Amino acid sequence: MKRPIICRYICILLLISLAPFSLQAKKPKQKVEKAPLFGGVAVSADLVGFAMKAVGAKYANMEVGARINIRDKYFPVGELGIGDCHRDGAETNNTFSATAPYMRFGMDYNFNKKHNGNRLFGIFRYGISRFKYDIGNPSFTDPVYGTTRPIELKGQKATGQWIEIGAGAETKLWRFIRLGWSLRYKFRISQKHPDGGEPYFIPGFGKNDSNGWGGTVNLIFDLGQGSFKSSKSKGETKTNK
Amino acid sequence: MRHGFLFILSSLLLLSACESYDCTLYNYVGMYGTFYKDGAVVQLNDTLTITSGKSGRMLLNGALYETSINIPLSYWQEEDTLVFRVNGNGYILRDSVWITKTNQVHYESPDCPTTFFHTIQSVRSTHLFIKDITVIRSSVNYETTDNLQIHLYSSSD
Repeated sequence: MKRPIICRYICILLLISLAPFSLQAKKPKQKVEKAPLFGGVAVSADLVGFAMKAVGAKYANMEVGARINIRDKYFPVGELGIGDCHRDGAETNNTFSATAPYMRFGMDYNFNKKHNGNRLFGIFRYGISRFKYDIGNPSFTDPVYGTTRPIELKGQKATGQWIEIGAGAETKLWRFIRLGWSLRYKFRISQKHPDGGEPYFIPGFGKNDSNGWGGTVNLIFDLGQGSFKSSKSKGETKTNK
Repeated sequence: MRHGFLFILSSLLLLSACESYDCTLYNYVGMYGTFYKDGAVVQLNDTLTITSGKSGRMLLNGALYETSINIPLSYWQEEDTLVFRVNGNGYILRDSVWITKTNQVHYESPDCPTTFFHTIQSVRSTHLFIKDITVIRSSVNYETTDNLQIHLYSSSD
């Protein structure tokens, strides 16, 4: 029952963190400028996955992404990563191991009409991973008949597909460097696996379940005119519809 | 500055999100069978004991008035031998039942107990008090419906 409480806190924090954007939106319009059709390309890396790997978490999704800026509003996104999980059951001696790539495609929609260096995103992603996993138990005992043998199922082939929807925000740190944050609700749309047992972890999705939450903290390098109006400029602009 | 603080705080919360174990609560895997006599379910009036033929392990000990049984199958053996012993008033009857099966690992997660599912391929027996055994559901898994119909001799046989 702790998970819903934590999720509630995360949602409250999300609302608090987005409050400055909504307040800024109420400022009076000063100048109207149309954003360019092609606002450049940005590449990013998710710091959460690398941090989880560094601290020895049960699993980690380490990913990089690229996106195109269209009218500073539509951002087609591709994300490519490696999911890594090595897990030993504390009381069961069961083991699970998988390291495999995954892909996500989708779109970010920027709700912030001002080009002040901040963006407030609605997020949609489709994710897929085809991967192999190993499961086992070095000394598994039949509780009734008493026989002990190892279980080794290596190279089990599986596929997982999922959808992510969420919200995100990003701000300009320095010139072309941005910091972005997102919270995503994920729901699995399909999985295929052998009869022996479903995978504990789906690369890119996380712990295998029908749904779950995820988040990213992205370090973004804007390689174009994504933030074409510098945040130093006090005269904020608004995109024509 | 405020944004940066919130970013860091939110990230830490995401990293520290707790994990729950969603293991199957009812994880007993057994082979279910019901006794029949003349086509109808029958209650045994004698004491029934079932042991594993090779290991001699007690699987059912002196059950009275049974109409059905559920017996765990072995995880590794391709064929299980079960010895059914009926203790009546002044008599003991024994029948052996051989169950040929396949064994499939059923793995849920590292934190949940692993078990085995089975597919019954054939069943044969001696015929001292068991007349015939019919396999009506070959999959042995978490389901609790009958796998076997165990037909006993009627008094007219």
